[in-house]
Amino acid sequence: MSDPFEALLRPPEAVDPDPTFAARLRARLERELLDHRDPRGTRMSTSSTTSTPSAPAVPRHGDVGYVSLRVPDVGRAADFYQAVLGWRYAPGGDPRGRQVQGLALNHGMWAEEGSRTLWACYRVDDVHAAVRRVREAGGRAEEPSREPYGTISTCVDDQGLSFGVYEVFGDRPAEVSSRQGEIVYLTVEVPDADRARAFYGSVLGWEFVPGNVDQGWRVRLGGGEVRPMTGLWGGRDRAAVVPMYSVEDIDAGVARVRAAGGTSTDPERQPYGVTAECADDQGVRFYLGRLPG
Amino acid sequence: MNLPAGVEPDPGAALLVLYDTALPQVYGYLLSRCGQRALAEDLTAEVFLAAVEAVRRRPPPDVSTAWLVGVARHKLVDHWRRAEREQRGLRVVQGLPAEPDDPWDERLDAMIAQQVLAELGPHHRGALVLRYLDGLPVPEVARLLGRTVHATEALLVRARKAFRETYERSEGRDV
Repeated sequence: MSDPFEALLRPPEAVDPDPTFAARLRARLERELLDHRDPRGTRMSTSSTTSTPSAPAVPRHGDVGYVSLRVPDVGRAADFYQAVLGWRYAPGGDPRGRQVQGLALNHGMWAEEGSRTLWACYRVDDVHAAVRRVREAGGRAEEPSREPYGTISTCVDDQGLSFGVYEVFGDRPAEVSSRQGEIVYLTVEVPDADRARAFYGSVLGWEFVPGNVDQGWRVRLGGGEVRPMTGLWGGRDRAAVVPMYSVEDIDAGVARVRAAGGTSTDPERQPYGVTAECADDQGVRFYLGRLPG
Repeated sequence: MNLPAGVEPDPGAALLVLYDTALPQVYGYLLSRCGQRALAEDLTAEVFLAAVEAVRRRPPPDVSTAWLVGVARHKLVDHWRRAEREQRGLRVVQGLPAEPDDPWDERLDAMIAQQVLAELGPHHRGALVLRYLDGLPVPEVARLLGRTVHATEALLVRARKAFRETYERSEGRDV
């Protein structure tokens, strides 16, 4: 027997909306698009970038797809990082948040009382499966919700570190860049490295090889680097994600941090480049790094 | 890696070029599914503003009319979800047990069917629109609604039942 409901099938038909509405919406789109067109031109310096040419690749399960700085005062943070890294922000939007423009890795800010850390959101192939794995591994995960960019679940690992997992509708290539202001390295700090290895190994498919410091591990994905390059560091008092931002001139970068009300160590040469350990004027820790391109 | 600004194709400009042809498609889809002009306009604006957000990403997605209609479908699902949440606050939720589907041999009148859909609760309406007006397979409907396939099948059974009851009442009233 045929299903009477099948008669409801209705392929979308074009309908011209009210011309006033159409014109208003077009004007709004033009305004929005125009507003964001200049970040390339206003970058602090584009003359001698340290970017490494690399073929765009599709973000993989386990890569970092989005980070957000969670601080009590977003306006203050926006000013600080604009002064230090030359960041520009997308206009409009929710006043509790900011979206940094022109970075390869999507980077936002969000107001959260009592929070002083970077929040990382990881790309996964199947967000519902990832939520199950988070729960099985002893973490907590909210039911996935649908957002304009994909389906996301907000999670907390078994050591209290908040993070997200998300699945996008379609694949788009990922960009790897070490221009000024980009994150070139992420350190996931946890009290217990072994527990974190088990948790993130299960949830994201991360693999680990011993790093340069005690209880330090380099995070690997399918035999290569996670994007951006990421390390796990155990034995820390509390769980946090600490970014390293690329700068072209580390001495000048350190001076800008201090001038903007933050703190910084003097630059130190490491096997992989010159770095300084900093905190912004709200106490969020980060590194500046000048890594060979 | 970015090309110099002058060389890089501007996805924002491409979106504006697409706007004139895509707008009637997106609006027509939304209007036929939600049946309210003001709501269809609001959702249409949301779709194109989401596209502006999307072309800000580096590199941007491949924005096409089909992509925009896909976003429109998500906006519609979000709308029903919000509406359902609001309504749920107003009434006592009665969880109907999933009943075996009762075969129904009836030639549906398209006009009455549209009215009936408009009278149903947002969750029933959403499930039926995605499954029957859009003609999507059940797993795809489940994915859009953020439910399991099993829960979606149960929802469709209840939605068809609600539709049929309202339809038969409307028929008695109107014919």
